[in-house]
Amino acid sequence: MNPIDELRAARPAHLGDQPVDERTRAAELTRAMAAPRQSRQSRRTRRVVRPVWSLGLAGAAAATAAAVVITSNGAQPVTPRTTPATSALATTQATVRLSARDVLLAAAGSAESRPEGRGAYWHTTSVSRNLYVAEKGGYRIMDVGRSEMWTPRATGGETWSRGQSLGAHPVTDEDRAAWEQAGSPSEITVAAKMIGGTKRFVVPMAEGKVRTEHAPLLDGDKVFWLGRNITMKDLRRLPADPARLKKWLEAAYDGHGTESADEEMSADVWLFKVGVGLVTDMPVTPEVRGAAFRMLAGLDGVRVTENVTDSEGRRGTAVSVTEDVPGPAVLEDRLVFDVATGRALARENVVVKPGGLQAGLEPGTVWNSTALLDAGWTDANFKG
Amino acid sequence: MTDDAHRFTGMYDECRQRVWAYVVSRAGRQVADEVVSETFAIAWRRLDDVPEPALPWLLGVARNVLRDNIRAEVRREALAAELRAWTEGDVADEVTQRIGVLRALAALHEDDREILVLVAWHGLSPKEGARVVGCSSAAFRVRLHRARKRLKEAMEAAEPALPPIPAVRNLSEEWS
Repeated sequence: MNPIDELRAARPAHLGDQPVDERTRAAELTRAMAAPRQSRQSRRTRRVVRPVWSLGLAGAAAATAAAVVITSNGAQPVTPRTTPATSALATTQATVRLSARDVLLAAAGSAESRPEGRGAYWHTTSVSRNLYVAEKGGYRIMDVGRSEMWTPRATGGETWSRGQSLGAHPVTDEDRAAWEQAGSPSEITVAAKMIGGTKRFVVPMAEGKVRTEHAPLLDGDKVFWLGRNITMKDLRRLPADPARLKKWLEAAYDGHGTESADEEMSADVWLFKVGVGLVTDMPVTPEVRGAAFRMLAGLDGVRVTENVTDSEGRRGTAVSVTEDVPGPAVLEDRLVFDVATGRALARENVVVKPGGLQAGLEPGTVWNSTALLDAGWTDANFKG
Repeated sequence: MTDDAHRFTGMYDECRQRVWAYVVSRAGRQVADEVVSETFAIAWRRLDDVPEPALPWLLGVARNVLRDNIRAEVRREALAAELRAWTEGDVADEVTQRIGVLRALAALHEDDREILVLVAWHGLSPKEGARVVGCSSAAFRVRLHRARKRLKEAMEAAEPALPPIPAVRNLSEEWS
């Protein structure tokens, strides 16, 4: 007998074609599809993607959003919402009669006068949180992850990232009691009815390992995605005039959303998302950061909420848009920032009308957030 | 579901266990799920680059993930445990010859074992196998030829560690 044939016949049974168990399948598919796809149309200009550290079904849900519309209430103050009973989840919101425009212009002034440092790498540290409802037991858990990024100023370098899941925990004492009642499972299955079926995945409660990744810059020089992939040089040379900046950004808008070519998105929502991305954690000059705030102030449907507390407990002001997403649900995408410095504190998603992945969460709940702990130029790379 | 998600899910269902089995044969079971998960995360991001059939491409990605993320000593230890499990199966349920082949395979160098497993267990052609390990088809054929020879030698050299299992006697005969 041919040794290859003998070897074929000797394959251990567990290495054969047994089906994968359903939990593993759901978790792996969800984890994979949580990251943005590199668009089919722009194969040659793949999108610069940042690593996703938490499992992020949230991201998957956002990425498959089929339709996003903007509420056209102009710069009117936000409608007061029901305050959830569980205040641990909710931010304190007090709407004031100051126009969105005035607040953003104040932030623009602050941002412009904030000096930037120097260094070989742009370094950011952030903590992401995702709120989930356990499929069995209905209690809520908060999944937390920490991530750091180093982006080189010079072309030809590598981006470095370091991330770790900090584990999940029941949100309130009530949730903890329900989790214990369920036998204190170390892995929680969460599910969401979405268009295209129920999505399920498993959230481990324990802290994960620290993972470091590095990769050459896309095409050797692309560092961020701003509607298109851009180099550090592009980013540093963005127009510092709000109208010209808007025009520059809008050139990359083609009617669909920021995460998927399958969703439609209005130009103003798109500009909001791209513009907020820019002011949140990209190394633009103070003048461009100011211009971006001024541009946001000119968009339709952008609202401002004062006295918001971010997921790290910091006080700030929120600028937001509201979106209809599959589920169906209505969600608010907001940037929490400090008006006095023009500094971004957190990007958050708030439940306005529960549904889909957010079914079982009360209106006003922040179900997903990324808090920026630190952003600045440094000469130390990941080893430093 | 979008077309991309549909295609990806189909590819996952078709290839996931094959990728897992390949990783297990390279690095044992402990790290396999982690490596497989990362491999498919990469496949999703780079879906436009994934050819048909996808398996050789996926195995190549898994191979790189393994090399870049799992420390060599962790891999060696985990693999040693896996190889022991292959050859220490419940003898009563195993066929002697099968154990002998697996022992011979376990005794080979890692590179030989990889080539043989790709061809015998995953059904890859030399061209596909060459893609996975990153060499030319011609070089792969040469390596396969040598690995096959060494497997045969290892099988012949191995002492018949276990006596041949006698054929099951017909009980009715015995009792009659």
